Parts: sequence; structure tokens; C-alpha cells
Amino acid sequence: MRARTGADQSARVPDARASGAAGGAGRRIRHAVVFIAVLAIQFGVFEAALRVWGSSEAAPSFQGLFEGDPVIGYRLKPHARVRFTTAEFDTEIAINGDGVRDDEPVGPKMADERRILLLGDSLVLSVQVPLQQTFGKLLEQRLNARASRYRYRVLNAGVQGYGPVEELLLFKSIAAGLQPDLVIEVVFVGNDAEEAVTSAPKLRSDGRPATDVVSDSIVTRLRRIARRSMVLQVLRLRVVAATERFTTSLAPPEPPLQSYAAKPGARIAEGVAITRRCIEEIASIAAGSGARTAIVLMPARFQVDDADFGRLKENVAAAGGELQRDAATERFDKALSTLPLPRLDVLPALHSASRGPDLFFQQTVHLTPRGHVIVADALERFIEQEHLLGAGSDRPMH
Amino acid sequence: MVFNSLHFLWFFVVVYAAYLLLPHRAQNWLLLAASYYFYAAWDWRFLGLLIGSTLVDYTCALALDKTSNPSRRRALLCASLGFNLTLLAFFKYFNFFADNLHAVFGALGWRVDFVTLRVLLPIGISFYTFVTMSYVIDVFRREIRPTRNLIDFAVFVAYFPHLVAGPILRASRLLPQIASARHVTSDQLRDGAWLIAWGFFQKIFVADNLAGLANTIFEPGTRHTGINVLLGVYAFGFQIYGDFAGYSNIARGTSKLMGIELIENFRFPYLVRSPQEFWRHWHISLSTWLRDYLYIPLGGNRGTPWQTRRNLLITMVLGGLWHGAAWTFVLWGLYHGLLLIVYRAAAPLDAAQRWALGPSAIARVFGWAIMFHLTCVGWLIFRARSARQVGDLSLSLLTNFSPTSADVRGLLAPFVLFTVPLLIVHACEAYFDDVLVVRRLPLAMRYSVYAATFYLTMLFGNFGGSEFIYFQF
Repeated sequence: MRARTGADQSARVPDARASGAAGGAGRRIRHAVVFIAVLAIQFGVFEAALRVWGSSEAAPSFQGLFEGDPVIGYRLKPHARVRFTTAEFDTEIAINGDGVRDDEPVGPKMADERRILLLGDSLVLSVQVPLQQTFGKLLEQRLNARASRYRYRVLNAGVQGYGPVEELLLFKSIAAGLQPDLVIEVVFVGNDAEEAVTSAPKLRSDGRPATDVVSDSIVTRLRRIARRSMVLQVLRLRVVAATERFTTSLAPPEPPLQSYAAKPGARIAEGVAITRRCIEEIASIAAGSGARTAIVLMPARFQVDDADFGRLKENVAAAGGELQRDAATERFDKALSTLPLPRLDVLPALHSASRGPDLFFQQTVHLTPRGHVIVADALERFIEQEHLLGAGSDRPMH
Repeated sequence: MVFNSLHFLWFFVVVYAAYLLLPHRAQNWLLLAASYYFYAAWDWRFLGLLIGSTLVDYTCALALDKTSNPSRRRALLCASLGFNLTLLAFFKYFNFFADNLHAVFGALGWRVDFVTLRVLLPIGISFYTFVTMSYVIDVFRREIRPTRNLIDFAVFVAYFPHLVAGPILRASRLLPQIASARHVTSDQLRDGAWLIAWGFFQKIFVADNLAGLANTIFEPGTRHTGINVLLGVYAFGFQIYGDFAGYSNIARGTSKLMGIELIENFRFPYLVRSPQEFWRHWHISLSTWLRDYLYIPLGGNRGTPWQTRRNLLITMVLGGLWHGAAWTFVLWGLYHGLLLIVYRAAAPLDAAQRWALGPSAIARVFGWAIMFHLTCVGWLIFRARSARQVGDLSLSLLTNFSPTSADVRGLLAPFVLFTVPLLIVHACEAYFDDVLVVRRLPLAMRYSVYAATFYLTMLFGNFGGSEFIYFQF
């Protein structure tokens, strides 16, 4: 390294302090103009870089999968097609004209057709894997591989970010019209209780839309422009997170993963109760058209992954809480056991397959193709054992 | 309370607003109260230790100043050092000694149940005990006069920017700044703001993002290919640098805002070309402390070559042990001691060494690369959970080096993203030999660095609020 004295340095690097000594308003304006110009240029550079290599769910291409909905808040956009690429996967996602993930329209129901409708969140939608590798399509392939008098169609009505409330609203407004014979409500035990509480105001009895009427004010227009920018989207998320931390810093902080806490807040019990009511209503509507309803309990990755659990347990302990690995599954199982609906907990199946390649992606914590195979196996056994498609009607005919 | 938390933001806004309004003496009272609050935010029970250490050393220093009786002076020095070293030995090393005693007795077939006390480590104890010890030793050597003002001395020991993770300050530098009225200049405000922003960038963008890569590799019981281990060790090298240098920069920046100058603790340590140079650029306040209060009193390099080697080894092993009560830290210290010994031994002979330290660009790059990899070997030892893991990871490095595209996509890309911006500034600082070179760049370039720092931190920073690594030392 070339060692230099202070005098040496000043000879090589023009000292901004010395050169700016003239001072005055003109200097300040010049500085402000340069700074704004630099910020704007770099904004463009980062925006372009994020669009090319960003691969986040905030990307406009991914956000193009969704559209606003006056009742639910948002839903999958009919006929949307996007390619979603991250370090872990590269997937083509197509939404059909009915607003569910499929390459083909659902179309009129044939006499020999049996439909299974999957309701749930991102774990059902599964943007991380191609459609044919999702547990829904795997289940469809297996059922159709049997020599049965029926042709089976599994409809993937999972939507990123949905909770039980949105799933009920989606079922009421769209999915019930798809004429399912079996509705499978996939409860993600990790966050459905908390999401149910957050979304409960959408369950208005007065019939008004859940979201405010979209106005064309300048603020709204600016907001729309901002939503198209990845840089602004990420900055907005940072501000929201900081605001949340700011508000929680005024009150005693709540340890994370409350659904798994040894002593959860009242919010979790309330969320589980709302979930139960939503499923009860889905089952009631489904029964009205002769369809059956079943429940699947989907665990979080750390319930299967020991290393993940160890890390999270330490984090929760550091925040003053206690993480109980299967507490959320047990809470939902207990609460939903009072409903006269068949239930499947896929945790034991995932546990028994936990040795070997990963069942969940490391970064996105959603099911890998192998995880989908395990869930599809468990679902196939469950449907058969519980005769969910009618006793004997779907048995193989040899 | 960590610097990267809202708690600290609140704390600093309130303290700083009051600080600017108060006169000098009241500022010192405020700094003392704020520093004790800052420390008590972790665990108020350990505040007694900090106050105890302050009172003992304040009293010993005054008594040392009053007497010229050599034996009485030595007794006072021993009392002060004994108190501080006992605190360190008990709170930091008791579990280590107890566990090793258990292991030794167990190996001999004896069952021993008496050493089962679990002692908590008070945060920052390694830093403030070293600060007060250096003060008493300086007074003993008559290099400084002790202060009679207890508040000034208590502020010197507990001053919150450096209290829990350094830099380890000397009284000769900090006490005069505390004792006299302070005027914050506009340059200090701007330099301070930049140091804080850059410190947060180093912590949130570099260190906390690379932590994920490093942790994956050092997770016990996991197996990785050689390329994964190599990238994991590189990642840890930049993680620990970003974490610690980031803390030091935030400490220096907040201090500058209050008109108090702290010493530089890091000077681009990965762009050096010899072990000696490394220790002049890495954790400078600790390495100079060890030099002045351990290596030189042991004899330094004034004796025979073998005595110099012994002194180097003792200093570096104890320096390693200072970082934590574990054999891996002892091994790390031993490794650096041996590096220094080998480097010194080769100095008169080795033409290659002279070439590597020479002025040519190729020689410089070669020298940096060699020294960076030697430092990384040290980080492997430092970060590993056990000597066995050091062996396992080294074996993977040497025998299972087969890069795949998945490795490259999963590890190399994030590693490059999180280190290249740091390295650019690092190289610029090294080229101009100035850690504040960014502040002296032409306007457009300077604002480009500011804007890039802002965007990179906000868009890609890890805002999990994790603690700084050196809090545990």
C-alpha cells in the first residue's frame, strides 16, 4: 500500500470542504440540484436492475397476477400469465379465465366429471413449482390414472396472501360457481389465525364492499404509479415495517410466531374461532349444492426442519417468548374437531419424509416439488380412506 | 440496546437534544446518566460492576498520584489490576475453566460436582475493564495525571458510544475532551453523519446479509462442498469486518455529533500485505493496548529472537482469549502469533516477501490476496464451534472442491452483491490512506456514494435488528 501524508492526500483528492468554502445560496442550490440528479439517475439504475434481476414478489411482473376486487380486496387476474424467477426456481404461471391457476378454462361440467376445489393461500397456489408439479395436479393425475367411471379435475383456487376470510369470500363470489363435488380447505396453521383477525372486518353483514371505492384522486394516481416501481415498493415496505416497529416499541413487544407461542395472545384464539366459522360457512354453502367439505392442516417449514426450528426457537426466546413446535397445528386441530368435517394433518406425512432432499425451499419456505409429491400422496390416501368422492364410486375397477 | 434499533434512535434523539441545550458540566452529568441507562437497558444488575470498577480505579489512581513510595505504588497497581482481572476471570472465564476442569477430572475418572455455577457474561466487561486498567497503568507510569473529577472519570469509563464494543479508549485522548468545553463544528456534524450512515451500511447491508451465508456453512452437523466452505469463510470475513467496523463507525459518528473524537479502530484491514500490517489496521485500539500493556512489558522485541517469539505468542494467545472463553479463540490467537513469528523469521531472507511488499501493482495484488487468505484461515478457526469443526471444514476445503452452478447461484451471487460496494470504498480509502476519503471526493462523486449507500441499505439491507458480534466478547 502506498502510504501518504495528509499533505500528499490533499494534493490528490480535491477537498470538497475547501472547494465549497465560497458558500451562499447559489452553492446550496447547486448541491441540491446535483444531489437530486444523482438520486434520480441511481433510482433509474436500481429500478432497471431490480426489474431484470430482482425476482421479488414486489416485482410488477409478479404483481400483474393480481387485480383489485371490491369484496375480497384482490384476486387472481383472469388470463394473467407471468414468469417468476428467483435463485431457487423459475416458473411459468398462468391464470385461466375463471381466475384460478390453470392452463385451461374450467368450462361446463360434464356428467362424468368430478371436481375437487382447493382453497388456501400461497401454499396451495404454489408459484414456486410448475402447475403439473403442484400437489393439486399430482392428485388429479393419480385419481385419473385409476380405472374409474369418472374423470377428475382438481381446481387450484389458492391465492397468495389469503387467509380463511378471503377464502370464504372467494368461495362465495367465484369458486362455488365452479360446481365442486369436494371442497378442500387448506388451513396454513402458521399464520391463518392472525390473518383471520386482520381480515375479519371484510366479513361485513351490510353487503358494502370491503375496500373503499376506488377514486381517481391525485393521491390515488400517484399511488398507482408508485406501485409500478420496484424501488418505491421496497421503500414503502421498509417504511411500513419501521412504522410497525415504531408502534410496537411504544407498547410491550409481542414475541414473533404467536400461533406457536406457549401462551399466545387472545388474538390467536379469536383467529382460530374466525377460521372455524369461515370453514363452517364454506361447508354449509358447499352442502347446499351437494358438495362435501374437508379440511387439510398445512404446517410451517420449521415444524419439519430441525435446524430451522432451532434458529426460530432461539429468536423467539430472545424476544421473551417460548416457541412450541406443533402448538398451532394442535390448536387448529382441537378447534376444528368440533366441526363434522373430515380432517387431514399432513405434518406426519412430511415428518416421515423429512430425511432426504428438502421438502421446503430454503428462501421462500414453500413446498418443493418433492414436498408436493408427499402432500399429494397424503391427500390421495385421505380421500380414499374418508370416501370423500363417494363410497366405492372412485375405486379402481379391475 | 443496539445501535440498529428504534430504542437507540429514541434514546439518542432525546439525549442529543438535551445535550445541545445544556452547558458543559451539565452535559457531562447527562452523558453519565445516559451511559448508565444505555448499559442498564441490557441488564441493570450489572451496572453495579461498572460503577464498582469505576470507583476502584478512580481511587487507586488518586492514591497512586499521591504517593511516591515504590512498593506502595506497586501494591496499588496490583490492587487495581487484581480487581479488574478478577472481574474478568470470574464473569468471563469461570464457565470455561469449570468446564475444562470437569473434562480433565472426567478423563482421570474422577467425578466432580462442585463447579456447576452458571455465570452470565456482563456485556462490555472486556472493554471497560481494559479501559480502566490502561488508565491506572498510565497513572502508575506517570504518563498522565489522574483526574480528580469523579463525574469526568465515570463518563470516560461509561461513555455510551464505546462502552460495550469499543474502541478501547485511552484516558490521554478522551479525558481532556470530557474535561473541557466542547464545540461541535459543521465538519464534525457532516463527518459524523457520514460515519453513522456508512456504519449502518456496513452492519445492515454487508454484515447482516452475509451472516446468513456464513451461518449456513458453520451450522454444526452440516456437510458442505469445498467451494461452499470457501465462500462461507469469505462471507464470515466480511461479516465480522462489516459488523465490527460498522459499530466502530457508528460509535465514532455519534461521538463526533457531540464534539468528541474517538480513535479509528479499522483502516481497510483486508488491503494489507503482512501480518504485522494487519494488526496495525484491524481492531487498532485492542492491538495497540496489547502492544503497550502486554507485549512491551513482557520485553517486546528487545531480547533474543526466542524471547521475542515467546512474547509474541503470549500476547496473541491472550489476545485470542480476550475474544471469548473457548479453545477456538486460543487457537486463533496462537495461529496469528505463529504468523507473526514466521513473518519476522523470514524477513531477512525472503526475496519473495520483499517483492510482495514492493511497489508493483502485481506484487500488491499478490500480497493482498495472500494476506487475505491467511486472515481467512484465522476466521475459519475463529468462527468454528470446535476444533473438530475446524478439521472437518478444512478437509472439505482440501478434498471436496467441486463447484456446481447451484452453489454459484446460491452463494457466489449474493456474496458478490454484498461485498463489492464495500470493497470499492475500501480500496478508495486504502489508495488515499484516508478512512474519510468519501467526504473529500468531488461533489458529484461524493453524492453518488451517498445515494448508493442509501439505496443499497434501504433496498437490500437486512433490518432484522441483530446484535453486533463483538457484544459477546
